[in-house]
Amino acid sequence: MADASGIVAGMGMTVERLTKTFQVGRRSHRRTIEAVRGISFAIERGERVAYIGPNGAGKSTSIKILTGILHPTGGQATVLGIVPWQQRRVLAARIGALFGQRSMLWIELTPRQSLHMLAAIYDLDRNRERRRIGDLASLLGATDLLDTPVRNLSLGQRMRCELAACMLHEPEVLFLDEPTIGLDLLAKQLFRELLVHLNAEHDTTIFLTSHDVADIEHVAKRAIVINHGEVIYDDSVATMRRTLLSTKVIEVGLIAPMAALDAPGVTTHAHTDRGMKLVVDTAVTSIREVLDALLDGPALGDITVVDPPLEDVIASIYTRPRP
Amino acid sequence: MSARTAPVTAWTSAQRVVAQPGGLLMTAVIDAMVVAVLAGVWRAAAGANGGTIAGYSAAAVTWYIATSEAGTISMNSRLIDDIGTDIASGAIAVELLRPVSVLRQRLLVEFGRVLPRLAVCIATGFIVARLTGGRLPSGSAALLAVPSLVLAIACNIVAQHVFAAGSFWLRESRAMWFLYQKLVFMLGGMLIPLEVFPSWLRTMAVMTPFPSMAYTPARLASGHFEPGLLGVQVAWLAVLGGVAAFVFGRGERRLQVIGG
Repeated sequence: MADASGIVAGMGMTVERLTKTFQVGRRSHRRTIEAVRGISFAIERGERVAYIGPNGAGKSTSIKILTGILHPTGGQATVLGIVPWQQRRVLAARIGALFGQRSMLWIELTPRQSLHMLAAIYDLDRNRERRRIGDLASLLGATDLLDTPVRNLSLGQRMRCELAACMLHEPEVLFLDEPTIGLDLLAKQLFRELLVHLNAEHDTTIFLTSHDVADIEHVAKRAIVINHGEVIYDDSVATMRRTLLSTKVIEVGLIAPMAALDAPGVTTHAHTDRGMKLVVDTAVTSIREVLDALLDGPALGDITVVDPPLEDVIASIYTRPRP
Repeated sequence: MSARTAPVTAWTSAQRVVAQPGGLLMTAVIDAMVVAVLAGVWRAAAGANGGTIAGYSAAAVTWYIATSEAGTISMNSRLIDDIGTDIASGAIAVELLRPVSVLRQRLLVEFGRVLPRLAVCIATGFIVARLTGGRLPSGSAALLAVPSLVLAIACNIVAQHVFAAGSFWLRESRAMWFLYQKLVFMLGGMLIPLEVFPSWLRTMAVMTPFPSMAYTPARLASGHFEPGLLGVQVAWLAVLGGVAAFVFGRGERRLQVIGG
């Protein structure tokens, strides 16, 4: 329910017709760039949201507005009921942010030393500081890492400590900008599990931007897609995958050679004596028709119908023509 | 910001420097070399001038150089450039994500970083000056030189932030850094006691904050018991702090309005 100032209780974030324009170039050739063009969305506390878009879509600008770093040109926004650009420091005490490779830890020191300083910055008393560091170290599997100089940690180990640094003051919202960039597969997997765990345990709102589709798939339940400064898609990740593309992928295992399937809307992507991969445009030919044709043949050994990769779904959203 | 934020920040920053003993050793070596050479030149000049130069004896000028160099060698000589690069690249924007003043936090970090180097330079300068120039001209005046050195680096750090804040508008700091270096060098009395200057230049210099960054502690260590100089340093620190807060505040707002 909104109060007199329009703030909605229980909302993690509300964004209404937010705009941001920049003036670039020298005086004689000055031009205006609309980085954010009237975006609106609302996020409830405890949601896990992927905020995605191609480079230059306006993601970073809108995140900087939502964290209070930038003033918008127009529109309204609140995070935890606070207008970010009006009360930046108040908001900063209640949110956490992990921006790509920008470290909060000093490489010459151990993570524990940097965490001690951050605890002072966030005004945690010594007892709370000790309890939080202990809890986070245990949660993130970082107990053995806290007393090793940061310069001696691997990137994956360092990122676990970075997450501890941005979680130290128990933020209610976590802004994560490309948090898994540069990590190896196992470290990425562990990092994603940690985010989901943090969300489940502490109801922390996760606001994630990433170009890594696996981050979106494993961490986010909802995707907000932005392009050319506008929200062009906002729905659950599952719905996005299921409904957005009218294609299905059929993987067929063969026990004997079989001729390629010649049907409208069916494209053969791979074909050997032992199997083939078909992409079916269901708007042209139904899956049932294709399956019937395959089942009629004598060579069928195994069959799997899957959704197209999320990467393709997102790429198709990015390449939609602008309205 | 709680009461423990400032000491914890400065202490943690100091630990970064202490964690690299090789860097501290190099600072000591450079300081010893510079003090030995410059003080040697000044002692020779004093000797050729009948034992004193502009009122400074050979011993006094040795302690002058040891002290002024302690205050300057312990500083990060590229601080303006570093701050300017952070502003121009937008890296400073991330610091806005903390519930504290960006300027205050940066000042504390830099102050903590300088303190271990200052301690090393004081110790090195003391040994070199004692071995080459003799005893301290005045113990009581030298006692004032220690807090004066701390005030000198505080003035220097704050002033560098004032100059670096130009990057919020110019997106460039190299010119500011160059200008600042020359002003401290010429007007601060870093290598040359102000008493050696022609009177018009000396009058001009004392109207600027630069003598508070090098000349004042050096003047005290060279045996001149002038406690009023500390008051001048405190006044300049307050003025520079106010100017830094103003320009950084305007700069941050500009960053927030036009982008990082």
